[in-house]
Amino acid sequence: MILTLLPALPFLSILLGAFVLMLLSHKKSISLESFNVTALFFLTLALFFELITFGLHSGDYLYPSIFKNFFIFDEFAAIFDVMFLIGTIFTLLVNSDYLKSRNYFSGEYFALLLFSLFGMLMLSHAHELLTAFIALEIASLSVYALVGYHKSKKVSSEAMMKYMVLGSLAGVFFILGTALIYALVGSTTLESIALYLHNAEEKDITLLVVGGSFLMVTILFKIGAVPFHSWVVDVYHGAPYPITMYMASTFKIAIFAIALRLYLVDFATINSFWLEMLQIVTILTLIGGSFLAISQTLVKRMLAGSSIVHSGYLLIGLSSIGLGSDIAAPAIMFYLIAYFLSAVGSFGILSFIASQSRRQMSYDDFKGFANRRPYMALMMTIFMLSLAGFPSTIGFLGKFYIFSAAIESGQILLAGLGIFTAFVSVYYYFKLIAMMYFYESQTDKQKSFPLNVSTLSIALIALLVIWGGIGTSLLSFIPGADGFIDLAKQAINSL
Amino acid sequence: MLNIIVTLPFLSSLLIALIYLGNTNAKRFVLYTSLGIGSLVIITTLSLMSLYDMMQGAATIHTKLFEWIHLGDFQIEVAFMADRLSIIMISFITFIGTLIHIYAAGYMKDDAGYGKFFSYFNLFMGSMLLLVLADNPIMMFVGWELVGLSSYLLIGFYHQDAANIKAANKAFMLNRVGDFGFIMGLSILFISLEGHGFSFDAIKANIALIDYQTLTLIGLLLFVGAMGKSAQIPLYVWLPDAMAGPTPVSALIHAATMVTAGVYMVARFSFLYIQIPDIGLFIASIGAFSALFAAIIASYQSDIKKILAYSTMSQLGYMFIAVGLESYSSGIFHVFTHAFFKALLFMGAGAVIIAMHHEQNIFKMGALRGELKLTYITMFIATLAISGIPPFAGFFSKDAILVTAFASGHYAIWTIGTLTAGLTAFYMFRMLFSVFHARKSKAQRVLHPLPKCMTYPLIILAIGSTFAGFVGVNGAYGGENFIAHFLQLPDISVHLSHSSEYMLALLNVSLALFGMTLAYKLYGHRAKEAQPDTLFKKVIINKFYIDALYETLFMKPLLSLSRFIATTVDMKIFDGFLNYSILFYRVLAGQFIRLQNGKVRAYALYFLLGVSAMSLFLIYKLGVNL
Repeated sequence: MILTLLPALPFLSILLGAFVLMLLSHKKSISLESFNVTALFFLTLALFFELITFGLHSGDYLYPSIFKNFFIFDEFAAIFDVMFLIGTIFTLLVNSDYLKSRNYFSGEYFALLLFSLFGMLMLSHAHELLTAFIALEIASLSVYALVGYHKSKKVSSEAMMKYMVLGSLAGVFFILGTALIYALVGSTTLESIALYLHNAEEKDITLLVVGGSFLMVTILFKIGAVPFHSWVVDVYHGAPYPITMYMASTFKIAIFAIALRLYLVDFATINSFWLEMLQIVTILTLIGGSFLAISQTLVKRMLAGSSIVHSGYLLIGLSSIGLGSDIAAPAIMFYLIAYFLSAVGSFGILSFIASQSRRQMSYDDFKGFANRRPYMALMMTIFMLSLAGFPSTIGFLGKFYIFSAAIESGQILLAGLGIFTAFVSVYYYFKLIAMMYFYESQTDKQKSFPLNVSTLSIALIALLVIWGGIGTSLLSFIPGADGFIDLAKQAINSL
Repeated sequence: MLNIIVTLPFLSSLLIALIYLGNTNAKRFVLYTSLGIGSLVIITTLSLMSLYDMMQGAATIHTKLFEWIHLGDFQIEVAFMADRLSIIMISFITFIGTLIHIYAAGYMKDDAGYGKFFSYFNLFMGSMLLLVLADNPIMMFVGWELVGLSSYLLIGFYHQDAANIKAANKAFMLNRVGDFGFIMGLSILFISLEGHGFSFDAIKANIALIDYQTLTLIGLLLFVGAMGKSAQIPLYVWLPDAMAGPTPVSALIHAATMVTAGVYMVARFSFLYIQIPDIGLFIASIGAFSALFAAIIASYQSDIKKILAYSTMSQLGYMFIAVGLESYSSGIFHVFTHAFFKALLFMGAGAVIIAMHHEQNIFKMGALRGELKLTYITMFIATLAISGIPPFAGFFSKDAILVTAFASGHYAIWTIGTLTAGLTAFYMFRMLFSVFHARKSKAQRVLHPLPKCMTYPLIILAIGSTFAGFVGVNGAYGGENFIAHFLQLPDISVHLSHSSEYMLALLNVSLALFGMTLAYKLYGHRAKEAQPDTLFKKVIINKFYIDALYETLFMKPLLSLSRFIATTVDMKIFDGFLNYSILFYRVLAGQFIRLQNGKVRAYALYFLLGVSAMSLFLIYKLGVNL
């Protein structure tokens, strides 16, 4: 009995945690810290279950007697689960300081976060299109609510409305695509779609290609690819810092979980149909994103714009998959981790600053930051270097793998454009570094480094960024981040 | 064992540095001293133990710390090797290094940067040991560079004075010039070996793969590196300026470490150099000229440390004569004996300088013999040793070199060497007599007291300077030339009858005695500083205007080129290009961002436009007929 329950335990812990938190949240006497600890407890529990069952995943379906073949258990899903869980844990840890400084947070915040995480876990395991849609909506609906969590703040509510309206519009296309595919195949499980594609001739699959393209629209919308990007900057700006961080890192990883599963396996044979389309979107995303990032004055909006550029890099990887690059899929997974660490770190520092003051952090506010908070400035520099893809940080390796994949698949032009936008990104990232170090500050009082959970987590992430950048081949006796690439390859092969 | 010998100084250096950085103002004399000297005592013990084992016939030791770089078939290991050559080197390096450390504890006692000094000092020792014990030329190069770095740090130790920084920079840059040659040589060697391994053993085994011309080029380029490190013409100008550092640093650089690296390198590559005797002859000629040139300049200097610096350069010249003429073991023998008496001379000079409250001009001292009795006696022994008076150490090693030069038929080199030997005795005793014998220049003076840890090492070194020569006594004097047999280097064999050897030795000794007598006559009673009154003297006192020549030839054109690049090429061309392209990009971005107007209906419109474009593309791609 318990053995058959084992693979579902991570889900159940998260779901249970979400319910517990929701039930508790009406009690105003419970402090935010207790909620935070409770949420972390369930997350850690889920992570624990996930890790002990890690090797057991062998491509079985979850309770086929109940769910048929809607949910699959393979190493690919497991590795994404671990990433979501760790991502959410970091999001909570890094923001524990910020939560205390704002009065609008309450217990429901944690419940919603866990519900959204539950949706993501479902999404990575989904092996059927409608299930995937439901999982995506579970995750998205919670995130909509979280974006507008600061009810009294106009910009927050506005962001939520924009996101929800546009997100529903995007969701429609997923349903439409599913319907078209169902019309042709007569089933929505990925298994039967793959089987159909295997046997069908080219002229029979028109509906499938159109349906697949509509699925792609939703995915492109969620990761903020141009021209479906316009919500990103406004929503990232309006959302509270923890949610911005969560969307930019963990949620984006979740979207790639389903995208990789769809395009790597099930639509693998017809990838070539939308190759040009994908390439054009990639080009638009890279250039448009850097346009958006370069013209911002608020650091949070700059990071939002730059997250579009990073989606562009991930799209380079996606189109390399279509051209048969072996390294592309692991490269995407590595890039997701690299971006996750750098984004959580940089948003974490912003939220730390925001927890000390109520200002919107613009570039000018960072003048002389290095004098006031030398350690924070150092860590921010590390994150900026990593985002820009500077050697000796994990961001460099991420870009390196992506570009290798692009070159391996013959997309020299895309790789060149990627390198060009990386140059441009140096402008808006290093501008922040220059502000911190080379400009006088208005108040030159040096503050000490506060030792608490938030700052220590940020410091840990900064170390991870460096470790991921140099611990690979330079010092061969230290286990390196490239070990992850092997793990990712193995996971991809499990599909 | 070798791993410990190499890593321990680095670790203690790091530890001292961390403790020092923790609080730079704290006085932790005992802690720094025990860490800095303790680690050296341990490695000295280990080195001497290894030496003893090897004297009992133990084989070459190979150890591997870890693999550094691994790319396909190519790998670089952080590995160490101790054969007979390197074991001799590390034995006296660690032994004399330890004595210098003990001495430095007294010399630097009141310095605010005491911890920093010991951190650098240990780093220096570690670097030198890495250089000597390296198993492959790449690790040797790492040590080679680290020696350059730590000497830079130490020469510029009194960084409050801009002149010292300049001296440190000069040393570093000139070393870089040499290092460039060295790395070029190594690279060509590496390419020529075509992947047959790059440890010293592998190179030695495959040396036949390389043709003569390439070998010549490699040998020459490697020697350029040696010129820089070991201060030979034309890359010697940093050595006198390096006296800006504290005196223990000078002692360490000149006696046990750094400058001997070039000689060691040539001996290490002896299997390569015996293939190319032409380059050997070139090395020997450079050595001979450097020896004479430095001796001439030294005869007119008045700064005690500069005299010693030039004497080092001169003695290094001898060593290069030896290794150039393929008499590697007599070169290493001279390195060995020189380490003792040169360390002693520097430490004695340091004692004198401290006693005279940081006065370095020998003509402002005088008559110190009564007051600094111990320093006087030990320095006298060292001076006898460096002048080649038997039975002191320098006699045997210098004699071996000159005999080789004579017996192998290089009479010009031999003549220069012999002349220099006489000159050496002159300028060294000029210094000694001026400092200790001549009438004192000031009537009243109070000498600064010397701590015990600054005087006891002098005694040990004096014993060494007296007896170190006996390990290499050759057949003519009834010895067996123990050191040459032990080293097993591919020496040239020369034959000279005992009577000719006696004649040569007699000539040397009488020249040395003549120099000594002349020095006593001129400086024994009333020492006067040399005045640049004739053209000849003026040229020599200004060191043949070599520094000025280098400045006009290299520095000025380079500076103006740099200035041109900084003000014109960089500011106008590169920055201008960048600024304009950024401007262009920002203008475009300004247009693009107007789309971002904050209205959901506009956003939905973009979305639908995107979907429409996709649909059109699909219609085209799928070839649907509408």
